Amino acid sequence: MMELFITVFSAAFFVTLIRTTTPLLLATMGGLIADLSGALNVALEGMMLTGALTAVLVSTIPGVPWYVAVLAGMGAGAVLGLLMAFFAYRLKADIILVGFAINILAAGGTVFALAMATGGDKGTSINLPSQAIPAVNLSFLSGIPVIGPTLTAFLSGHSVLSWVAAFSVFLVWYFLYRTPWGLWLRGVGEYPAAPEAAGIPVEKIRTLSLIASGALAGLGGAQLAMFNYVGFTRDMTAGRGFIALGAVLLGARHPVGALLAALLFGTFEAFVVVLPGLFNWIPPEVIRMIPFVVTILALVLFSVRAQRALALRAAK
Amino acid sequence: MSNVPAIDRSSRWKAVRSEVGRAVGALVIALAVAFIVVMLTSKAPFEALDVLLTQIPQRPRTIGLWLDDVAKLTITGLAFSLVFQARQFSMGVQGQVYMGALAASYVALSPIGTTWAGIPLGIVAAMIAGGFWGFIPGIAKAKLGANEIVSSLMLNYIAIEIVNLMVRTNLPKPQPGVLTTNDFPATSVFPRLFDNDWLSIPRLDIGLLLAIAAVGAVWFALYRTSWGLKLRLVGHNPQFAEYSGIRSTFIMVSAMTVSGALGGLLGSMFVQGQSYGMLIVLFEGNLAFEGILVAIVARSRPLAVPVVALFYGYLRQGAQLMNIRTDVPAEVIGVVTAIIILLVSSSFSLNFIKRWFKRSSAAAPAPATAGGAAK
Repeated sequence: MMELFITVFSAAFFVTLIRTTTPLLLATMGGLIADLSGALNVALEGMMLTGALTAVLVSTIPGVPWYVAVLAGMGAGAVLGLLMAFFAYRLKADIILVGFAINILAAGGTVFALAMATGGDKGTSINLPSQAIPAVNLSFLSGIPVIGPTLTAFLSGHSVLSWVAAFSVFLVWYFLYRTPWGLWLRGVGEYPAAPEAAGIPVEKIRTLSLIASGALAGLGGAQLAMFNYVGFTRDMTAGRGFIALGAVLLGARHPVGALLAALLFGTFEAFVVVLPGLFNWIPPEVIRMIPFVVTILALVLFSVRAQRALALRAAK
Repeated sequence: MSNVPAIDRSSRWKAVRSEVGRAVGALVIALAVAFIVVMLTSKAPFEALDVLLTQIPQRPRTIGLWLDDVAKLTITGLAFSLVFQARQFSMGVQGQVYMGALAASYVALSPIGTTWAGIPLGIVAAMIAGGFWGFIPGIAKAKLGANEIVSSLMLNYIAIEIVNLMVRTNLPKPQPGVLTTNDFPATSVFPRLFDNDWLSIPRLDIGLLLAIAAVGAVWFALYRTSWGLKLRLVGHNPQFAEYSGIRSTFIMVSAMTVSGALGGLLGSMFVQGQSYGMLIVLFEGNLAFEGILVAIVARSRPLAVPVVALFYGYLRQGAQLMNIRTDVPAEVIGVVTAIIILLVSSSFSLNFIKRWFKRSSAAAPAPATAGGAAK
């Protein structure tokens, strides 16, 4: 147990934690925007997967810098968001079914595209020379007296996208609560009839938020396939999109809450990374189960609290 | 049925015809897209399509594979139909399949498995395990308000890991290190349906009979019992159901549990069927989720589910053959699946396409016709 404590409070664990949280956080922010506009985005998983593959494939093109590949991954997610909006709003399909269709499309389509790109390998893109997102080096912080080395250990070496993800929380918060468009978006999600009557285009706002949602999920996918692992493997998101959906619900539909929820799930994903080295008697299957079990437990516990709050409010 | 007025019956046929038309239209569009993808990526596109569409009826073996898939797709389609009719988006069939398979394997590999009871008890154990796995997201939603989509999906991943763990560490296996169990004793493996001199179809086992029985049972439960009436009411109009005193939480939980039992049954059909006769990790090959397509195209009607499964199973096996014999990966069928779900679950219709073409060819919009078609 002592080793676990030492590990958890080490700088190395913190770096792992940020690494596992980043894709989750980006997808959670995407899910949050869609959810607040009243469009539950269950396709985060498929959007992440597509973003991951697109980013990897674009990065293998000679002469393409890494950030173009990342933008391509974002774009792929955004296109899926647009597709989702088209079927859900133009063709009036149930948005949850559309989301699952997108997931099926992504699960099959990425393997298909991977096999095409690698010449038959349906497992990984390991034979393709894909690029990685660079880490941000802040070793100059060591110059600060006393706390310098600690600061460097904790803050240096994260992916560029980790900083982007952290900033995106602030950006999403600012957008939602400090701009008129954010107010529109929340209004559309809360009670669509009122903004409709006020002449605010409800479906256009939902379409835009699904596009933004897809872009953020695609960005998370790019982080997964260009930093956490370098290269694409089949089904590499492994439920992260669904966990992100859980984080949206757990985070009380607020950016800060979503950040905390993503950090919670990211912590347990980091456990999946470090536990096998510490406790080799725990079966790896049990360790891999942890994030999913924690998600269910967190969801159940939070829902109990939310229901009690609702009951209290009703009692008043 | 005798007192159904004739006018009602004819309008029902009209509805059936338009649904079939939509499904066929969606299928044609999806196949056309798949054809374009194959044309762009394959060196021998016409050969690939030939394998996809014409090879199955030519050999008993491929017919057996196809009908075996049809039986399984029917069960997963029924499981999704049940929860969709109650408007619950429980996505846990995959996990229920794994838990059911695990329970069936424990029965089959125990001393019971070598007796006549191996098959019936295996099925019952699988259905109980699957039902329990379906009950969890149901009760979590009804009592605690936890979103059933997320919790059922999480349970899928957990079930897969539990099966991995048990196969690796607990169940008897031929040699250490392999991720399969021992072969089940012959008394615990479903017997083949046609296995005589003049007709022998490999792979096809009594799972097909189970699927047919399940169709009848689900139809009866939904349309001839008060439980089914309440379930459909909860699905169609939850507020009305609430006002008329139906305990919607009970209906919700029971629908998810029964659907879970069907998922468990499918698990037993996988491992006790002719195709495996043992438990292998990750045996299910994403078939469970394809029940979404079957249920949606069948409009969650139990009697339509096997018909849809027949067609979709044909495409699915055709894609597997295409994967083996040509350079086109079977995953291209995922594109077809997604397009069919998108088109059938939306307000897409042949009229819509006509209108769309009209609108894009003649720039002047025709609001009167559009309004008429929308009705």
